[in-house]
Amino acid sequence: MNENEGLLSSGWSRVTRNKRYIFWFYVMNVLLAWFGAGAFNNQVHQILDHSLHAERLVNGFDLGILIEMFSRPEFGPTMASAAPAMHFALFFLIAAALFLPGVLQGYASTYRLPREDFFRACGRNLWRFIRLMIVAGVVMGAVAAALFGLHGVLERKAAESSNELLLPEVRLAGLAVIFLVMTALRIWFDLAQTDLVVSDQRAVRRSIGSGFRHIWRNLGRLLGSYVVTTIAAAIILVAGLWVWMKFVSSANLVGAVVVSQLILLLLLIPRFWQRGVAVSYYLHNMVEPIAAEPFTPVLISPASGSTAAPVIPSTPPETEGA
Amino acid sequence: MKFRWMILFFPVVSVVVISLLVKEHAARAASAETVGAPVSRSAGIGAASNSSPALAIPDTTLAINSPKPMSERVVHYELDAKYDAAKHIVDATEVLTYHNLTGHALDHFPFHLYQNAFQPNSTWIRESKIAGSRDVSYEKWEAKEYGSEEIKSLEVVGEGDLTSQVQYIQPDDGNKDDKTVVDVHLPKAIAPGAYVQFKIAFQTNFPETQARSGWKRDFVLGGQWFPKVGVFWHGAWNCHQYHAFTEFFADFGVYDVKLTLPQFEVVGASGVKVGEVNNSDSTKTVSYHGDDIHDFAWTASPRYRVKEDGVFQGQMGPVQMRILMQPAHWSQVERHENILRESLEHFESWYGPYPYKTITLVDPESAEAGGMEYPTFITGDTNWFMPAGIYLPEIVVEHEFGHQYWYGMVATNEFEDAWMDEGINSYTEEKVLDSILGEKTSGINIAGATIGEREQQRLGSIGVADLDPIAEKAYDYYSFDSYGGITYGKTASVLLTLESIIGEDTMAKAMRTYFMKYRFTHPTKADFLNTIQEVSGKDLKWYFDQAIYGSPVMDYKVLRLESYPVNWYEKKGNAFEKEDKNTVYRSYVWLQRKEDFVMPVEVEIKFDNGEKVREHWDGVSRWTKFTYEKKAKVESAEIDPDHKIQIDRNDFNNSYTEEANPKPARKLENFWMFLTQWVAQALTWWAV
Repeated sequence: MNENEGLLSSGWSRVTRNKRYIFWFYVMNVLLAWFGAGAFNNQVHQILDHSLHAERLVNGFDLGILIEMFSRPEFGPTMASAAPAMHFALFFLIAAALFLPGVLQGYASTYRLPREDFFRACGRNLWRFIRLMIVAGVVMGAVAAALFGLHGVLERKAAESSNELLLPEVRLAGLAVIFLVMTALRIWFDLAQTDLVVSDQRAVRRSIGSGFRHIWRNLGRLLGSYVVTTIAAAIILVAGLWVWMKFVSSANLVGAVVVSQLILLLLLIPRFWQRGVAVSYYLHNMVEPIAAEPFTPVLISPASGSTAAPVIPSTPPETEGA
Repeated sequence: MKFRWMILFFPVVSVVVISLLVKEHAARAASAETVGAPVSRSAGIGAASNSSPALAIPDTTLAINSPKPMSERVVHYELDAKYDAAKHIVDATEVLTYHNLTGHALDHFPFHLYQNAFQPNSTWIRESKIAGSRDVSYEKWEAKEYGSEEIKSLEVVGEGDLTSQVQYIQPDDGNKDDKTVVDVHLPKAIAPGAYVQFKIAFQTNFPETQARSGWKRDFVLGGQWFPKVGVFWHGAWNCHQYHAFTEFFADFGVYDVKLTLPQFEVVGASGVKVGEVNNSDSTKTVSYHGDDIHDFAWTASPRYRVKEDGVFQGQMGPVQMRILMQPAHWSQVERHENILRESLEHFESWYGPYPYKTITLVDPESAEAGGMEYPTFITGDTNWFMPAGIYLPEIVVEHEFGHQYWYGMVATNEFEDAWMDEGINSYTEEKVLDSILGEKTSGINIAGATIGEREQQRLGSIGVADLDPIAEKAYDYYSFDSYGGITYGKTASVLLTLESIIGEDTMAKAMRTYFMKYRFTHPTKADFLNTIQEVSGKDLKWYFDQAIYGSPVMDYKVLRLESYPVNWYEKKGNAFEKEDKNTVYRSYVWLQRKEDFVMPVEVEIKFDNGEKVREHWDGVSRWTKFTYEKKAKVESAEIDPDHKIQIDRNDFNNSYTEEANPKPARKLENFWMFLTQWVAQALTWWAV
């Protein structure tokens, strides 16, 4: 087993040990999207429910009906239904940022993290995460803007070529490079987030620095793991859509709901897998060695409430990746 | 003294006469050399012109499968052009022989100089900036967008050099900066029946492709590239400026064209190729001949891949299908040939024979050059990635081929009656593509998602249907969108709807009659509409007044359904009568005409016992009501249950069901939910 496989399998085992996180994130995803889709749903029901014309959407998928529906004044501006959907997508992002410290804490633990510890980790790291997200946003935004700007220049140059295929080739190659660079940045901030949570780091800049040093030293290994998980996500999406089109008849609404939601549930896994990879890497390569001290159990009275939560796992880290 | 005068007089007269004869002979010899000595027919009556009695329009049939000319030939263009591929400039001479068949003495001739449209203050660009255009927004002027067409010299045989008489005119809008039309006044008028010959030297500077003409990298499409005389129509010259939305109008005749360009170029053009010689300066001269056509276009690129072994056996003879493809699109050459062949088959079978010996299909390098028609020469539109279920290449090729009939042969005035070429062609496009690709799938048929051509055309028009009437001059439309939506989409929808009034077979017969009667002429809108009325035997003025000449919009609606028991007030004991299968209901169905277009419609009312009733409503009043007493409640009502009407702006309100059916909306809900969740996940993937 090479190092990459070690990271991937170690990350995967953290995901499988904590499947409930994926489930709850999925529930959150569904609920928020349901709220976000409310405006759209009201509009389409108003136009379609009493019209025989709409039945052409049931057997098959007549794009003409869809276009005509969007063009109806009573449907309103497309933004009226798109905006709530986008807002609730942002709520999901915020919620994910809020609960992610708990997930990382859970992944770093070798035991099932109690609920109160999960939420304690979330609360304790909220402000740190916000600061880190701001830094990540600035860095990733600036790099993305520069890369897409350069990409645009290359595309314009390629468009001048008499070889028509050069443009799609440059476009694809450029997007691949942008993806790799942005993934590297994502890993950097994933490691920083892990450091913030697991080592209870108050100074966000130290976590950022630490993350940067490690991504710099182990770029190939980490990037390889992240690329594999991203490919897994792409396969889930493409295969899921293929199954939806191939095996679910156009009139089978229940089947469509089941398959589409299954795709979305499965699509959450690769990102959690990446988090598992980041935590595994952190515990093996970034965590400060702790001076060996005799372990003295501390009795905690149930009535006394919680004392400080264990920041470093109370049991020694397992020997992942070996 | 007298004798000395005589000695002087005779030599002078002799010299003058001899020099005139020599000059005329030289001119004729030069002319013959230029055109490859085409066969000429007699000038006939009126041959005695005030210019040259030897002039004639050739009666060649080299490019058509007909033993004799098919059109009344008015013009003979002999063009000798040299193309500078590095500068995108054509230097050329043009000998235009014009036969005055107008019945009027003509003392001036207007010419189109279309390439002058691509200048910052031209009418074309002024209109494009405010109303939109096909491809360039003209927000910022770029030098490569500049085009020009300049007459260097103009001589009228027998009347001398008239270059100084060439004047720019602006008959439509008075824009003094517009140079797309020139007028030439002749010292001596050309008598009815006489001929006149113009000898023009000109230079055309192509812009980067705009409006389906110009260059892109090493590709060039030479469209509207030479001075073209206007059409004398209905007692006056018809020679409009080039406008943002307009196309062209010209007389039928014969074209003999020599193109000199680099030897590495692969060339395609209107007409048939009659010669190719390599020159000593690494150029070659390719000669083309066209009969009974009214324009000539050509293209050149070193990278075309050519398929020219396809032959269609037409009703009048074989038609060679020459296809010039971009190398990256070569895998689609069969798609292009198949749709071209099927289009030929359908048009010949439905409307009439295709008489030309060739059809050249060009897959241009630039999208701005795609989707254009010239006589026997069309451009397609595709991309390197074109899944089989996306029928863009098929739609474009079929549409442009259709123009060989509706523009090429039935040569309507595209400036004034754009709907008669684009709209009628869009209608036949729907018919042909529906027949080949299926009514519901002729636009897109991929991964379960479908749309038909007729639906696409309808949707393109409903948003702009009340902005302009169909019978609007192309340059008077409100915007490019309204021009496109109405000229193409609304006309096609109006003609499809007409089928519901006169019957599909009668409409097909009318279309064939119209083509056969008016091919190789310049029919008017009245000619077309009268043909339909004559063939159908129906007075359709009420329909044409609204649909063609007016801009009212059609929107019929099922306003309300209502059912209640007839004996609702009766009590059985202390309780009201319970409804059962013997309960008689009084049912009402209200229909409303929401907009101003009045048209009789069929309505189907369905009851909850499965019974269906068909009603007819003339649509004259704003609303109407149908009343029934049956042992069933009304379940639904649908206007136009056979879906024959294509011009109704809102098809959703054409029906109403008493009970809601949420299934279609839920299907969309699921897609929307999926999209929303996926976007949320993707956003979170990168941002957190």
